[in-house]
Formats: sequence, C-alpha cells, structure tokens
Amino acid sequence: MKLTDKLIKAVDKKLERFDPMWQSEHGVGGLRSRYYDKTGVAKYREWRGVKDTFYDYSQWLKNLMSMGMMVGSAPLACLKGFWEYRWMGSYLGTFMFIDRLFEGYRGYELRIAHMNMHAIVQSLTKKIALVLANDRRFGGGPLTDRMVPMDEVLPPLFMAGFKDLIPVPLQTLPEFIICDIDQHIEPYYIDVAESYGLPADVCSRCAAETGVTIDDAFPIFGKGFLSTNMPCNASEATSMFQRRRVNLPYQPVTMAMIHNEPGAHPYSTQELKNAIAFIEKEYGVKYDWEALFERAKHMNEQNTIELEKWDYFKTPYSALVGIAETLYRLYSWASVNGQEDYFTKTDRKVIAIMRKAYEEKYQPFSGKTRHRAFLWGPSAVYYTDFPTWIQNCWGINIVLNMDSTMGHNMISTTDPEQAIKDLALFSEKGVMRHHAVGGWDNVNAVWEWAKNFNCDMVLCNDNVACKGMNGVHALLEEQARDLGFHFIFIEHDLEDSRTVSRQDMRKCVNNYMSVVLNEQPLDPTIVEFDDSEAY
Amino acid sequence: MKKVFKFLLKFLGKLALVGLIGFAVTFVIYMANAENKLIYYVVRPLLNKHYDAQVRDRRI
Amino acid sequence: MKDLKHLIYFENLLQDAHNELVTQAVAEGKHALGYNCYYIPETLLNLPGCFSSRLRAPRCVSTDIASYYMTTRNCPYVRSILERAIEGGYNYLEALFGAEGCAAMERMEEHFVLIHPVKNEKFFSTIIDPPMKGDENNLNYYKAQLKLKVVDKLRDELGVDVSEEAMLKAIEDHNRISGIITEIGNLRKLDNPPITGYEFHVIQLVSQVCPHYLIIPYLEETLEELRTREPEPKFPFRARVALVGSEIDDPDFTKLIESCGAMVVADRYCFGSFPSREQIEIGEGESAFDAICRHYLHWNQCARFMDGGKIDQRHSEVLRLVKDFKADGIIYENMKFCEFWSYEKVLANHIFTNELHIPCCTIEKEYALGAVGQLRTRFQAFIESLEIKSIQGGK
Repeated sequence: MKLTDKLIKAVDKKLERFDPMWQSEHGVGGLRSRYYDKTGVAKYREWRGVKDTFYDYSQWLKNLMSMGMMVGSAPLACLKGFWEYRWMGSYLGTFMFIDRLFEGYRGYELRIAHMNMHAIVQSLTKKIALVLANDRRFGGGPLTDRMVPMDEVLPPLFMAGFKDLIPVPLQTLPEFIICDIDQHIEPYYIDVAESYGLPADVCSRCAAETGVTIDDAFPIFGKGFLSTNMPCNASEATSMFQRRRVNLPYQPVTMAMIHNEPGAHPYSTQELKNAIAFIEKEYGVKYDWEALFERAKHMNEQNTIELEKWDYFKTPYSALVGIAETLYRLYSWASVNGQEDYFTKTDRKVIAIMRKAYEEKYQPFSGKTRHRAFLWGPSAVYYTDFPTWIQNCWGINIVLNMDSTMGHNMISTTDPEQAIKDLALFSEKGVMRHHAVGGWDNVNAVWEWAKNFNCDMVLCNDNVACKGMNGVHALLEEQARDLGFHFIFIEHDLEDSRTVSRQDMRKCVNNYMSVVLNEQPLDPTIVEFDDSEAY
Repeated sequence: MKKVFKFLLKFLGKLALVGLIGFAVTFVIYMANAENKLIYYVVRPLLNKHYDAQVRDRRI
Repeated sequence: MKDLKHLIYFENLLQDAHNELVTQAVAEGKHALGYNCYYIPETLLNLPGCFSSRLRAPRCVSTDIASYYMTTRNCPYVRSILERAIEGGYNYLEALFGAEGCAAMERMEEHFVLIHPVKNEKFFSTIIDPPMKGDENNLNYYKAQLKLKVVDKLRDELGVDVSEEAMLKAIEDHNRISGIITEIGNLRKLDNPPITGYEFHVIQLVSQVCPHYLIIPYLEETLEELRTREPEPKFPFRARVALVGSEIDDPDFTKLIESCGAMVVADRYCFGSFPSREQIEIGEGESAFDAICRHYLHWNQCARFMDGGKIDQRHSEVLRLVKDFKADGIIYENMKFCEFWSYEKVLANHIFTNELHIPCCTIEKEYALGAVGQLRTRFQAFIESLEIKSIQGGK
C-alpha cells in the first residue's frame, strides 16, 4: 500500500464517525442527522471519506465554474432573467439538488453520477445563457430569429437537418427541468392556471405549463412554433393556450397515439415531413440531410452505449445506478437528443468505468442492495431524489426506469427516406409515452422488462391525475399478484407536492416494506421526516 | 538565469499561495454548505419578495 | 303545449341501453354494433344488416367495480359504461368500435377485451387511433384506421356487405334520419318554439341509441306532429342558451337547465345534434367511404383537435349556433376528470366572454345527475344575469 493510501485510510478511520453511512450502521445517526428540520438545508456537507469527499468537492467546483461561465457569457441577460422570471430564481437551488441526489453515493457510482450530472449542468447553463441573451423580452439577440421554439416532448433530433437553426424546447427552462430542482416552483404556476378556471384534477405538469403561459413566463424568440400531442391528452390541450400566447405561426406535430401498430408509422413519418416543410417555409431555410446524419451518428452511438449499459444493469455490478441513470437519460434523450458532442463523450467515459467496475465485481452502495426494482410510470418530478432515498432507506436499487427505455432504435445515416421513418418510430416512443400511451400491451410490458433485468420488485408511479395509467390500476395489481412480483403503487401528483407530499410517497414504500415484507430500514433516520420546506 | 529562476519560484510560490487560499476558502464554503445556506435563507426570500410584487401580463 | 304522442315511449326507450327496439332488431338478426364517440362514424355502423348503438349507462348510480379497475379518479362516463358492461347491460352487442379519443375512453374500451364483460360469443372490439388535425395526412390516417378496424372487421368477422352500394345505402339512411332530426331541431330557432330543449334532447338520443329502421317511423310521426303543434301562447322561458361541452346523454340535465328558466336551444356536445345530424354529401369522383370519412373529420368538434383551423372551428361553430338559434348565452360543461374539456372550457369561456362578449357559464358535472343543488344555483344565477342583461338592452 502506498503511503498516501495509508494516510487516507488513517484519516478515514479517524473521521468515520462523521460519515452518515457509518452512523446509521452504528445506530448513532444517519443521512438525515445533518439537516435542519423541514428545510432540506444541511448543516454541513456529507463526509464520504477523504477520496470521495474531495471528488465531490472538485465536482462542486466544476459545476460552480459552469454557472460562472453562464453568467460571464451573458451577464446582463442573466441578471435580467433573474429579475424577470420567477423560475430563474429556482435555479439557485441546483447545488442543494445535486447534493440531495447523490447522498450515500461512494466510489464508482459517485464518479459516474457526477460525470452525468456535469454533462447536464454544462448543457443547461449554456442553454439558459443562450435563451436569455436572445430573449425578445430583453431586446433580443443575434440568434433570436434562428431559434425554433418547440414543445419539450417533441424529440428535436430531426431538427438537426437545419444546421443554421437552434431548436429550443420551450417549456424546458421554466418547467421541465426546474420542477426537478425546486418542488415549490410549479405549484405557483398551477395556481395561476387554476385561478383562470382550470380544474385541479388535470395533470399537474400540463396545468403548470398552462400557468407559465398565462403568467407570461416563457422567453420569447423564434419565427415559428412546433407543438406536439406528446405525450398525452392534457399536454395536447395545453398547446391551444401556448398557440395564443406564443403567437407565432404554429404547427402541431401529432404523432400516432396507438404507436405500436405498423399503420402508425407512415402517418407519423408524414407528420415529421410536414414539420420540416413548415420550418423551411417559416425560416426560409433548406433541410440538409447530411447535417442530420452527422447528429444521428451521435444519437446512434449514445443508444448503442445505452444498450450496453443495460447489460450491466442486469447484474449486481452496475456502477451506474438510480437517479444518476434516470435523470441523465431523460435529459440527454429528451433535451439534447444527439445534438451535443459532450454527451457522447460522457457516455464513452461512463461505459469505460462501468466495464471496469463490472470486471472488478464492484457492487454499488457497499453491496447493501436488498431488492432490485423496475420503476414504471411517469415519476414525480418534485421528488427527483426518490430513487436515492429508497436505496438508502430500504436497499431498493432502481435498476431502470420506464422513461429510460424510450426511443432506442437506430437512425439511418445514409438514406433520407429511411432516416425519417426511423425518426418517426424513435419520436413516437418519447418521454412518458413509450410505455404509458398506446394500449395495454405497452404498459403490460413491465413484467418482461422487470424479468429481463432480474428485478424482484416493480415500483409503479401512480400519478393521481394520469387518466391513462389510472385506467389500468387493477389490471396491473392483478398481474403483479399472478406473476409473483413485489409491487408498490407510489401515489404522487407529478408536479404538485401539495397534493401528495414527498413524505406521503415515502409512506407508500414504508408501509409495504414494514408491513408486507417485514423488513427493517437500513437508515432509520430517513424513514419518516419532514422535508416540506425543502426545494 | 538566476533572476528568472527566482522570479519563477516567486511566481509559483504566489500561485501556490493563492491556490491554497482559494482552496481553503472554497473548501470551507463547500463543507459548511455556506452557499446553500445563503441562497436558502437570504437570496431566495429576497427574490421571492420581488417576484410576489411583480405585476405580470396575465392573460389567455 | 300538448304532450308529444311518443315522448313517454321515447323516454322509456332511454331507460336501458338494451331497450325493446334493440331487442327486436337483434331478434331480427341484425348485428348490434356499439360505439362511444363521434370519431366512430355512426353511418358505418348502419351498413345493411347492422345497427349502431351509442353506449349509455342510464340510471347508473354506483360504479364500484369499474372504480376498482380504473380508480375513482377517472372519467365517470367511462366508469359507468364499464360498470354497465360488467353488469351485463351490453350483452346484446356483437362488437364495440372504440376510439382513442382520450386516454380514459381507450382504457375503458380495452377492458371490454381484457376482462370480457360482454357475454356474447360473437363479441369483438377494436380501437382506432383517431386524427388530431383536419389536414390531408390526418384524413388519410383516419381513413386507413376506419378501413382496417371498422370496415374490414365488419366484413371479415360478421360478413357484412361493405361494398360501395352498401355504403351509399348507409349514407342514405344517415341523411334520412338526420334530415328528420335537423328539421325538428330547427324549430328551436323560432322565437317561440313548439318544442322544448328537453324534448329535443330525448328525440336526438333515441335516434342514436335505437336501430334507425325501427325508430324512424316514430320520428317521422313526431316531426309531423310538431309541424302543427301549437306553442305556448308566450315564450315560457326567461332566456335561451346553447349547451356546449363533452358527454351529455341524460335529458334530465337539459330539464334541469330549463327548470331554472332557460331553454336549451342548441346542443353542441357529444350525443348532441351538433355535430351528428349534418347531411353527408358525396363529392365528385369521391367514394361513399371517403365521403363518410371526410364528413366526420370535418364536422368533428372534439376538444382534442390541435391544429389552429380545428380549434378556431370549435369556437366559430358555437358562435354560429348562438346566432342561428338566437341564444342569449352559453353554458359550457365538462365531465369531471375530462382533460380536454377542462382546458377547452377555460379557453372558450375567455373567448366568448371577453372577446366576443357573449355571456358564458362554465360548469363541471358527474355522469349521473345526483345532487343538483349547486348546479341549480349556478344556472339560476346565470339565467338571472342574462335576464338582467336583456332588460338593460344587452349592456
């Protein structure tokens, strides 16, 4: 053993009583001990041992630098953004958010988690700077007319064929991402929508989008707006409000709802072609297939790597786990969609570590995993760290989540006609859609997925306002019983933490684990706690 | 040569000192979770006050 | 006004989906074909040898089993239909043609296959993926879906004649029944109509839930009767309203509004006559099937449509009805838990109230009309405001 290693070991031994994992093992505290009650504010950061703490610190610095660069690249626009948009204030909670997500992470899983997270942070900060610097509300910028506002759940890869245009998911900044960071931001917008007569029983994500629209909180840019019917009913309905507010030439790209039938794809293909024609007309540009192929190669590589990751997920030796997997896949697929090199590079680095960890038979979370779970149904975005909590509290490793299975078919990089067909199939299977929409068979696929990934448990996100998933409630329960899976419905209200709080969600799991399975928590400090005032 | 070497040593020394101080300050902020405390208890409440006072162009 | 001769008979026909005319048609060897939504053209289900049955669940007060399957957080219409199916209320059906008009509807229709509630060995079900825009691509998709999942199925599973001649006959049947209903409905345009909104609602409903060939003679007789029916000496209502919204198949709802003092002069909702009773015209060089598809896509007013043209059509159509039927105001309804109409109601209320200055009242309702106290209060207040406005000369 090298001298430095010896030194580190000695320091680790000396300071181990500050490590929450050690504390919970020895019954003298745990992950919740270092928090001020309710707030989610930690008295001090998690001590993870010398190596991991310093690694976490270095990544904190790296993310801090990205944020500094964001402000530095467009200082005035950023200041104006903070002043104008309520949702911009919520981005200040990013560090607390990252800390929350990776509690209890050590070793390889911590490294991969931070690589993935930094990819998101550097991309998002650039996007914020870009949008604010070109927001017509603040006088616009050189790229204002080259930006294309698109619905956040319309996969933007097909737009890569417009090499001089920049597709920007319209709802991403005020809603799609920020709701993960701050549980209190979207209820404000939901209230705005409800104050205009919208019932409280509609999907809260769409209610929030409508609230942002009514509250005039979208950045303003572009010359034509692409909306979509994806993923489902309420999302379709929100478009009519956005159409009025955005007030630009408008093209809804309506992909087939029942998308698991051959007849659906020609229709969706034509929809994409019509969208391309719309952009060509409104922006006066020509579609360039070579430019598309260039980005499609990146998406294909990312999807190839993703499929390899899945092989590791099937084993106990995957160093990519829980929210580090979920959030990255969601962002890299839905928002980036092959358009940024950084994500391909990150994937290459991550898969290399995963291979190494597998060879070493490295088990994440010190091998404390008791159950392997597949997470099905759209997740509560106000409780992004739920997978972290369930691992730390009950040793349930969320191996893969439904939305990570979206669009993983390869896109042709040589034949335009085939490429657009591939893109249609790829896009039909988007966020909250691949398995939640289009018929029972898509939902019922969960058991096959769970079996293939060697899971003994299925956690089903039960969005109280999701009419589609509510519609198969009993069938899912009956299937779980028949097939012998541990099965927990986790009630939530997607973006409205007031209806079903984080603690209420934890309670669903706590009850099952203690009453049905008669198990003891790994960390008793996080079984029940109040984090209602946390971001 | 000696002068250059001396200057370089001085410069590197200063750089190391700045680095050390920088590290010490940022590491203390990091460990004490100071930036999050500042944001949670000071910055956000002020910003929220401002947002709540805004008159927005609310319409359908 | 003198009572309509067949009104009580019609009301009785609405007491059960499996009514006496349905029983008679089934006994005569006709294929009973169920549907829930305007996206499934009624005309196609009335090809020779078949009859359409738009599914209702009258008098359904408890949906315990359906709520077990679909939770209490889902549309009460779909839960009621599923409940009625489980109770055996649709065992006369040989098929259900569903449409993924909304997620709740699609899930409910899936249960017709997954839990086999319809005890009829011939029974089968399909679900189309209906279009969301009115353009050519969506029309082509609509045609392909209807051909694959309705027309071909009728031919292959039930041996139904789906030839051009058969389609033309179905259009003829559609135009005939629609002509009668439209003529009856147009009486509501009169200043003092010889028909109430409730009576019309009953008549429109029987035309959708009974075999056409059996109900048409009664409808024709009723039309004849209405042509000479003496209205009340003075218009008996304090206001005239257009009723707009989602699924309303309970005439007692119309009766409730009218009991508060406003006549329902126009019915623009699912199960209403706008749309459903427009004439199908066949264009030059167009096949009968193509004409049916085009007609249904054009007239469809579902809140699900997303393109600007169809969104604006929804509002211009209501505006047309308000003008043609001289409505003083609009009541916008949505079924509880209905995503589409929840949003449409907010938008339409804004457009009509603030931009077009037509008074608008929005309400949300359950499927079964239970406690109506709150609704009654809302309607009374709205009607009073219309009355005051009318007294003040529209100011």
